[in-house]
Order: sequence, then C-alpha cells, then structure tokens
Amino acid sequence: MSWGDLLLIVGGLGAGFLSGTIGIGGGLLFVPTMTVGFRLSQAVAQGTSLIAIVPTAIVGGFTHLRQGNVLIRPALWMGGGGVVGAVIGALVAVEVPGSVLARVWGAFLVLSAYRLGLQALQATQRPVPPPQVG
Amino acid sequence: MLVPLQVLWANTPQRHANANSLVAIIPIALAALPIYYFRKGSPQVDLHVALFLVAGSVVGAYTGARLLRRIPDRELKIAVAIVLGVVGIKELVFP
Repeated sequence: MSWGDLLLIVGGLGAGFLSGTIGIGGGLLFVPTMTVGFRLSQAVAQGTSLIAIVPTAIVGGFTHLRQGNVLIRPALWMGGGGVVGAVIGALVAVEVPGSVLARVWGAFLVLSAYRLGLQALQATQRPVPPPQVG
Repeated sequence: MLVPLQVLWANTPQRHANANSLVAIIPIALAALPIYYFRKGSPQVDLHVALFLVAGSVVGAYTGARLLRRIPDRELKIAVAIVLGVVGIKELVFP
C-alpha cells in the first residue's frame, strides 16, 4: 500500500463522514477529492464516484435507520422519485452542455445555502417574548 | 439536492432530512449506475481508487451517521449551508 492509497482512505473517510452527517451523496465530495487531489480526469472521477457512493450510502443509510434518524415514508418517496429523476436526468444530460448543467446546479446550491444559512440565523435571533405583567 | 428541498419546502427537521437523503440515494445510485455505463459506452472507472476510497468512506459514513443525533439542528443547518455554498460557488466559477 502506497502513500497515495493511504491518502485515498483518508479522503474517503472525510467524504464518508460528511455524507453520514450532512446527508449529501458522496459524489459531491468524491469527485473533487479525485480530480483535485489525485488528478483523475472528470469522466473517470465521476464513474469511480458512482461506484463508491453505493456502499457508502448503504452503510450510512442503514446506520441512520438503526439510529431512528429516518422518516421512512418520505425517504421511500424520494428514493422512488429520484430513480425516475435519474433516468430523465441522464437523458437530458446527454443533450445539454456540461458547463450549462454545472452552472444551473451551482446556482441551485448557492441559493439553497443562502436560504439555509438565513434559517439558521433566524433561529438564533428569535425575539424574546416580553415578561408577563400582573 | 434532496436535503435543501426537504428543509426549505417541506419543513423537515435538518437531522431527518439529512438521514432521509442518504437512504434515498441508495436506489438512485443503483439506478444511475447502469444508465451511466450503457449511455457512455465503455465504463470509465478506476477500481483501485474506488477500493481505497470506499475503505475510508464506509467507516466515515458509519461514524457520521452515529454522531448525527448529537449535533444540534442549527449547527447542522450551518454545516450543510457551508458545504453546499462552497460546492455551489466552485460549480459556478469552474463549471
């Protein structure tokens, strides 16, 4: 086992941990780990990431189930809907240039991050109710 | 994508949204795998990289999933916002 292999394990550990806590598919983190850290081409990184996501999500998902973190019904609906979405997405992805897809995806993520951040801040700045008099 | 949609549109608590998302990814990734290979022709996978990446990621996913209950909702939300923001800016600037 080389140093590169050890670094891959450490990278996987970090990506897997964030996957388990934040709930994002490993791909969001696996792909940059491979392209930036290990100079793999985007195509190879994406293909490899798809392979790596499956065991990661299975281990994380079943641990969540055992920990009581999962709302079963919405998770099943999302999984079913996501399969249909994946098929449609794969067909659309072939027709639309990759850079356009990446920018739309990036805009969605930034907007979501902004609104989630706002929600977190509002949760801390909730006004304290005035004391009851009388 | 599944995490912000649940929290912002369906008001799902952050902890459940994160866990639901990882469970939902299992069938999605399984469905995407053959589609990716059939449409792209020859599979472009580095099995050596995948093996070592997975060796770390399954341990990380297990640990992260077990720790989730202990992280307060607000801090979890901030962490999700930071990760989505960083990846989103990267996609916008270097698509």
